[in-house]
Amino acid sequence: MVEAAKREVPALAICSTAFATLGKSQAKALGHAELPIAIVPHPFGIRDREELREIAAKTVDDIAKLLCESGDVEAFGKDSATFSAGRRAEQITVPSDFDDFNRLLMERHWGDGFPAIAPTPERVTKMLAHTSRAPDEIVARIAPGYGEATVERIAINAVMAGCRPEYLPVLLAAAEAVADPDFNLQGIQSTTNPGTVFLILNGPIARKLGVNSGNNCLGQGNWANATLGRGLRLILQNIGGALPGEMDRATQGQPGKYSFCCAENEEANPWEPLHVERGFSANDSTVTVVPPLGTWNINTHAKDVSDLLRVMADVMAFPAGSDYVYGGGAPWLVLSAEHAFILKREGLSKRDVKQRLWELSKLSAKRLSEKDFARTQNGRRAELGEITRESMLPISPRPECIGIIVAGGPGTHTVYMPGSGYTKSAITRKIV
Amino acid sequence: MTANIFVMNPTAAGGNEQAAVPEALDGLRGKVVGFIDNSKPNFDHLIAEMAEILESRYAARSIVRRKRLASIPAEDQVFAELVQECDLVITGSGD
Repeated sequence: MVEAAKREVPALAICSTAFATLGKSQAKALGHAELPIAIVPHPFGIRDREELREIAAKTVDDIAKLLCESGDVEAFGKDSATFSAGRRAEQITVPSDFDDFNRLLMERHWGDGFPAIAPTPERVTKMLAHTSRAPDEIVARIAPGYGEATVERIAINAVMAGCRPEYLPVLLAAAEAVADPDFNLQGIQSTTNPGTVFLILNGPIARKLGVNSGNNCLGQGNWANATLGRGLRLILQNIGGALPGEMDRATQGQPGKYSFCCAENEEANPWEPLHVERGFSANDSTVTVVPPLGTWNINTHAKDVSDLLRVMADVMAFPAGSDYVYGGGAPWLVLSAEHAFILKREGLSKRDVKQRLWELSKLSAKRLSEKDFARTQNGRRAELGEITRESMLPISPRPECIGIIVAGGPGTHTVYMPGSGYTKSAITRKIV
Repeated sequence: MTANIFVMNPTAAGGNEQAAVPEALDGLRGKVVGFIDNSKPNFDHLIAEMAEILESRYAARSIVRRKRLASIPAEDQVFAELVQECDLVITGSGD
């Protein structure tokens, strides 16, 4: 909506009540605080035509007032959170008592609900010693508020998350990665979907920092996994401004929004590791950002390739409520080493696996609700041509959009992570 | 009494200066109104009803363009076209 206002033509946004805060906050963050917003009842998707006619009549009246009566435009009030302007972070005085400090964090909406470490100038300085980049260098602008993620602000949030100082370069690269336009962080951060950001580490730094790639690598118990994922979350919230219930419109969210990070188990991977597949050298250290809507366990003791791929593909296809059906997307699999071994033993490359899964996981358009079918027709017409109820819908625009890593310990479990149509691709950045 | 310490503010305001507010329209009569349909269910019907009212009350003409998905921006070409042809552009957010 702000794109229209930027083009210097009178513009107005219609927001359903549940999205009004997002609309106002984002307009302000992007320099258009006075963008008029007409509010309609939420959800309007369930209204019948008669109700819509009444809503339309009132909305037209509102538009006439908002646009044509100068000075009558609804001004956007103060944010409930206090944000810091300027390139260098301000220092503030807070209680040194642990409980008082954490209470203040929650009052200011600076925390994630867990106790946090006080980002004292001394701790931040120690963190900054692990990069040659200037503290005031802007690494990225983080949607949806497009706050400037300076090196210093990234370090401050890393301290709060409990990251060790040597973790900083990972979060600098991750901040760059999430800001890549193909990742569409704007969509991930402000949607009602439960999307979050999953960090995958590859290369020597994963071993050096002790990032878990083995048993329970997506679970609890490892300092680096826990605090790196949490550090990125605090960056997304504090710098990006995605506060729950405000610009973060997630209906339920998911536990992965607290922290979501692991390394690829390169030793157990029978193929080339992810970063090499994506064009980096084996000796490079990288972080890849992936936007999963959740995780789903695929437990199968299948030992035959066809059997194994069929089970995986069935699981991938069946979360029909996931909105990849509307727009395609980039789903991911975290293969167990045992499953990867079976596939490799029969001579399949990662590319072969993706191709087979892509063909086997097509979803019949007959399975979609009427409204979802209509959305899919609109969202994927350019990709698939005319879609009928007889169409079989691929899970992603192309087989190579399916992401694969090998991680975890012994066991017959592969994790499926549905992707959403709002992200074109995962993004990988070199850690320096 | 609890002692105090210094900490560093972890937040950032958006880096954008506030833009000037466009001049108010001199009314809707005879105007061309561009709608960007966010492709959520019923938004197309809401726009259709509004377009009818705009025409009957204000003799205003409507142009509607539909996004592929709600969570991605409309294409630059759509904006360029609407800005060229319309006196007012209306977008939508929500369900």
